[in-house]
Amino acid sequence: MSPAILSVRGLTKRFGGLIAVNNVDFDLPAGELHAIIGPNGAGKTTFFNLVSGFLKPTAGSVIFNDNDITGQPTHRISQLGIARTLQIKSVFSGLSVYDNVWIAAHSRKKFLHPFRAARSYRDTAEIVVRSLETVGLAELRNEIAGNLAYGDVALLEIAIAVAMQPSLLLLDEPVAGMSPEETHRTVNKIKELSRSMNILLIEHDVEAVFQIADRITVMTQGEVLCQGSAKQIASDPRVQEAYLGVPAEVIHA
Amino acid sequence: MRHLTIIGIAITILFLLTAPWLLPRFLPDFWVSIMAEIMIWGLLASSANLLLGYTGLLSFGQSLYFGFGAYGVAFAITKLGLGIIPAFFVGVALATLIAAIAGFFAVRLTWHYFAIITIVFSLIFYLVAVGWKSLTGGDDGLSFTLPPVARFGDIELTLLDPTFQYFFILTIVSLCYLLQYMLLRSPLGVAFTAVRDNDKRAGLIGLNPYWIRLTSFVIAGFLAGVSGALFALFSRYASAQYMFWTVSGDAVIWTIVGGAGTLFGPIVGAALLIIIREELSMYWEHYLMLVGLIVILMVTFAPKGVVGSVKAWRADKRNAPATSNPDPTHEGASQ
Repeated sequence: MSPAILSVRGLTKRFGGLIAVNNVDFDLPAGELHAIIGPNGAGKTTFFNLVSGFLKPTAGSVIFNDNDITGQPTHRISQLGIARTLQIKSVFSGLSVYDNVWIAAHSRKKFLHPFRAARSYRDTAEIVVRSLETVGLAELRNEIAGNLAYGDVALLEIAIAVAMQPSLLLLDEPVAGMSPEETHRTVNKIKELSRSMNILLIEHDVEAVFQIADRITVMTQGEVLCQGSAKQIASDPRVQEAYLGVPAEVIHA
Repeated sequence: MRHLTIIGIAITILFLLTAPWLLPRFLPDFWVSIMAEIMIWGLLASSANLLLGYTGLLSFGQSLYFGFGAYGVAFAITKLGLGIIPAFFVGVALATLIAAIAGFFAVRLTWHYFAIITIVFSLIFYLVAVGWKSLTGGDDGLSFTLPPVARFGDIELTLLDPTFQYFFILTIVSLCYLLQYMLLRSPLGVAFTAVRDNDKRAGLIGLNPYWIRLTSFVIAGFLAGVSGALFALFSRYASAQYMFWTVSGDAVIWTIVGGAGTLFGPIVGAALLIIIREELSMYWEHYLMLVGLIVILMVTFAPKGVVGSVKAWRADKRNAPATSNPDPTHEGASQ
């Protein structure tokens, strides 16, 4: 097993009396496309919020690439190379598609020049064009992000994350709300991306997850239920129990 | 369309450069001074606009830095005996420093909390300035006589000459606009708008919203300080009344009427409402009712302001033919 790029120990988050994430240990080996699934309220998004710095953990530690990022602010974690998309899609709605990706591509440079024209940075422009082409939004580059259709906003969010050239990409329900064709295309893109970066994703679309994930973690009630390949997970009786209501044939498909 | 823009810019520049001789041919002489005043207040409005239109922070406190700019000049001339240019820099430096201190606290907050704390800061200093009469002259202000700007043999350049004063103000305001233009197209300027649109997402891509807001706040304080320093030289006095938060309110209203988030909106808004004031206040003491009506109509029907609406209208015109007659190089057209 290759060394872990993300290593989580005893991670816990309490909201008053509610334990959203309970003593989670988790290792993401480098080079893996890993998915977290689980019923609603399992603590998947809270887990992402703890890793990306939106929430400070009550206990436990998060180590990323040998850096202790436990409780660090979002922007510092991002500077270290973790990019993230959100469940409720979030872009810069007043900026053009191009500028949305531009600022993401440029923001990991330490210094934001106050006078030099943004358009004069050739290296940044190359990253932007490449990222837009990766997700297939190159033609909409001049469109204001606030005018985009929902599926395109989701793609733009992925382009923003890609432009940051992260070593770890956290995707929170990347295909939620997408049409079947959009889902198909996005799933293929995620698979492609996983060749150049580590990807950890949360997804409700179990079918999509089983298609692409190297390994899967199942969470219920804030805890890790089990971990394994798609096959192992699909045949695990505990998972079928947790997913009561999801027909067995969906899982076996 | 492109030609129209170039012609428009050329006419504006020509008008600005010839106004001191052109205006008195059609209007009473004092309109040259009103032009100068519009540029000063437009600069104050653009300081509110940098925060509201580009960084997403509604400040009702820009009068504070305007006031410090003005008092800095007045103190430097009356108490330190400095010349105009050094006094000008003292005023601007003082305003910028105070903005850095106030911003350190203020930009931890956003939205209405931010708006309230900016009012509170400016009220505190206003009350101090009114109360500390021996230092500030209170509401009566601090008057001074202007030393000349420079002497060349027998020729003395002084701001008492309305034409020289006009060009002095035009030069400095133009430089401030050039500074804003460069800033807004720079990486830092794009970062301002990113934080304005979505601070959560800005954090996720590695921008620190606190430092970006603070940078914008200090630059806005600098611009307000320049306009305050210019106003002190223009009116030859500094007064606590200009520190009151309603002066900041005017700056916000000029910005909204002219177009928040556009470079020239604030100065257009200031020009429009100051001209209305100059034309109407003599005949109708309740002219502010008309100003109020204009603001209500603008916010309701043209929330982008004068400049923003014109820009949107022109963008529509440019896009309309493009969609009905697609560009052949466009990939979609070949399918």
